[in-house]
Amino acid sequence: MKLLPMLLLLLPTAASAVDFCPNSMPTQNWGIQYQLSGAHQGTLLLLRQQAQTAFYNPQNQVAEWWRFDNPQHPQFSRVFGEAKRRIDYYMGDLRTLGVQVSQAEIESFAANHLRQALTKVPQSDCAEAEAYEGDYHQVHYRMLWSTALQLPLTLETTVQGKVSRWQAQQFVNSADVTGHFQQWQAYKRTDFADVGDNEQDPFLAKMINQGFVEHSEHAAYDSRGNPLGNHSH
Amino acid sequence: MKLKAIVLAMMTLSALTLAGCGSDGDKGDTGATGPAGSDGSNGQNGTDGRDYTAANEWFMAGQATVANASKNSISDPAGKAKNIILFVGDGMGISTLTAARIYQGQQQGNSGEENRLSFETFPYSGLVKTYSANQQTPDSAPTMTAIVTGVKTKDGIISVSDDAVRDECSTSAGHEVMTALELAEIAGMSTGIISTARLTHATPAATYSHAVERNWESDKEMSQAALNAGCKDIASQLIDFPYGDGPEVAMGGGRTYFMPNTATDPEYGSAGRRNDGRDLTAEWTSKYSDGAYVWNRAQFMSVDTSSVKHLLGLFENSHMQYEADRVDGDGAGEPSLAEMTSRALEMLKQNDKGYFLMVEGGRIDHAHHAGNAARALEDTVALSDAVRVAMEKADKDTLILVTADHSHVFTIAGYPVRGNPILGLVRGVNESGEPATTYSTDSNGMPYTTLGYANGPGFGFGNDPVNTDNYRPDLNLYNVTDVDYRQEATVPLGSETHAGEDVAVYATGPGAQLVTGSVEQNMLFHVMNYAANLVGRAEAAQTQN
Repeated sequence: MKLLPMLLLLLPTAASAVDFCPNSMPTQNWGIQYQLSGAHQGTLLLLRQQAQTAFYNPQNQVAEWWRFDNPQHPQFSRVFGEAKRRIDYYMGDLRTLGVQVSQAEIESFAANHLRQALTKVPQSDCAEAEAYEGDYHQVHYRMLWSTALQLPLTLETTVQGKVSRWQAQQFVNSADVTGHFQQWQAYKRTDFADVGDNEQDPFLAKMINQGFVEHSEHAAYDSRGNPLGNHSH
Repeated sequence: MKLKAIVLAMMTLSALTLAGCGSDGDKGDTGATGPAGSDGSNGQNGTDGRDYTAANEWFMAGQATVANASKNSISDPAGKAKNIILFVGDGMGISTLTAARIYQGQQQGNSGEENRLSFETFPYSGLVKTYSANQQTPDSAPTMTAIVTGVKTKDGIISVSDDAVRDECSTSAGHEVMTALELAEIAGMSTGIISTARLTHATPAATYSHAVERNWESDKEMSQAALNAGCKDIASQLIDFPYGDGPEVAMGGGRTYFMPNTATDPEYGSAGRRNDGRDLTAEWTSKYSDGAYVWNRAQFMSVDTSSVKHLLGLFENSHMQYEADRVDGDGAGEPSLAEMTSRALEMLKQNDKGYFLMVEGGRIDHAHHAGNAARALEDTVALSDAVRVAMEKADKDTLILVTADHSHVFTIAGYPVRGNPILGLVRGVNESGEPATTYSTDSNGMPYTTLGYANGPGFGFGNDPVNTDNYRPDLNLYNVTDVDYRQEATVPLGSETHAGEDVAVYATGPGAQLVTGSVEQNMLFHVMNYAANLVGRAEAAQTQN
């Protein structure tokens, strides 16, 4: 059995006041830096450029990159910065992996559906935000939702008494966002469908053995509230 | 004399009884003569109304098969075949054929096991040894090279002999080996290449190009050293094809490999791959004044085959869609393998000198690598449909071969009852041989599917529901017959692997009798060469010129 990575500290306290409270969405390419607090320290960047959204972990330089230029046929790449390689997944590939793609979920840090499932509660932490709380699929959620960004500013999950928390900290500047996408565009790419025919490729052989292609998760955390973003195996 | 009389009496009795076998609704059990059923030799599935639950009909069906086979004392002379159609199911091992035949039969509302894929009605078949010059279990490059050149080579190498070293351009020169398609072009025949994979992928590429690295699909994938040493990328070799008047038909996926990186894909908006600035699709229509380039189904359907003599179709920027996703998975629309085969034959048959056509079901392999049996079976059935089209459209002087390049570690397990859903959980039979009321279970009381893989991504199921006693997923909680379901695998690998056992080959038409027994894969080229006298016709054409 594969265990999904846990990036968050098990926090005993509830969400606190936020320092980062934007009142408008940037007009150019932009991104948000989320702090993953807990035993597994680190950051996760959410990057946006028109119809592109990426989740990037700067520690291991791994990114999950979605393009919705054609919303009915999204394209997905898993990017490996250290190797300067990427694996491209087409619609049929995603289906074979059981991935149900939702542009709204990808672009909202997988929180769009939660807003429908949770109860709106009063909050005073941020003027341009709404607070939600409730249970969904055996996970207790508390979320501060930015109406300006259409993204969570804080997202707290409680699973079997263990509390985890994402905290938006600051914007990623436009040039850095553009730079990441340009860099990834130039990486050597391999279609997911071709991985099996290229076991002699040292990078792909390593990835095959590590099971990099097996995840069907496509967002920041799984259906049980376990955060993703730093896939360890 | 007495023995002869008994045999004669048995034959007469059999003939009378057989005549009484008709459709399901007219089984002749009253002795009345029913309408004759189709024997399936026309590519239909043998839905001729035989009641296989009656023991005598098993006997007579077998007897009839032997009777038909006994007439096959054919010894076609060399060169009797005017045309050749070669079908290749990439990764279509024998277990895939068995499962696909049952799958298709069950899709038609039948038990499934008695069904026959179109080519399983061919009169000749054999087993093919697929090992390459350097690997026990091969990839598609050396296996297709063996099939279309008559020479085994090393893994990763396309239509260059095993004197070469993979990915070393300098070792290529002088070791390129002539392909059946090239010989056909030299002979003045028409030729075609069709695949649901990229046209530059190893299997189709082996028919028209020569490369010591299968991944050299565009110049972007080549090292500067290889480019400097004079090696050419695979896509450019299709456009710069030097023999005859060039391929008449080339259809498949891989559009971006033919586009410069300054161009934008019309369907996805992504950039082309080529660094050399060449727009190979434009070059196709420039090179062939009677040529056309299409990239979606509407354009494909509107091609006038009476005026278009060189057709390039690139329907996806990479591989074409899986058959299961083709209709709703492609916004621009793309033709089926059967439709491409049909259209190709309309064009190729116009040449009095004959034709050579290669058709690949390229995505069977990919679905298996993903551990997704349903898509592999759907694509196998799609290949069967394409073969049926060829059986109906091709003239009798056409040798048709159907084979695979290699197998996969795909298994059919347990003791399911007749008619058990091939994608389903195993349900066996009880002590009386009747269907059991519960599923068969493993040592820990857990159900399992008929289909599975020896390795691949289906190991463990990630974080999904698992029985913690034995770490197998609880399949009661899954829809195992769903097209997206990923079968269990024994060994955890991110991508399921090829397998090394023999594959099958089926043959019909002039020279088909040569396909029998257990043969080396490179022998298949020699069958085609003998049947159509490719070398002889090419030499004769060169002499005339």
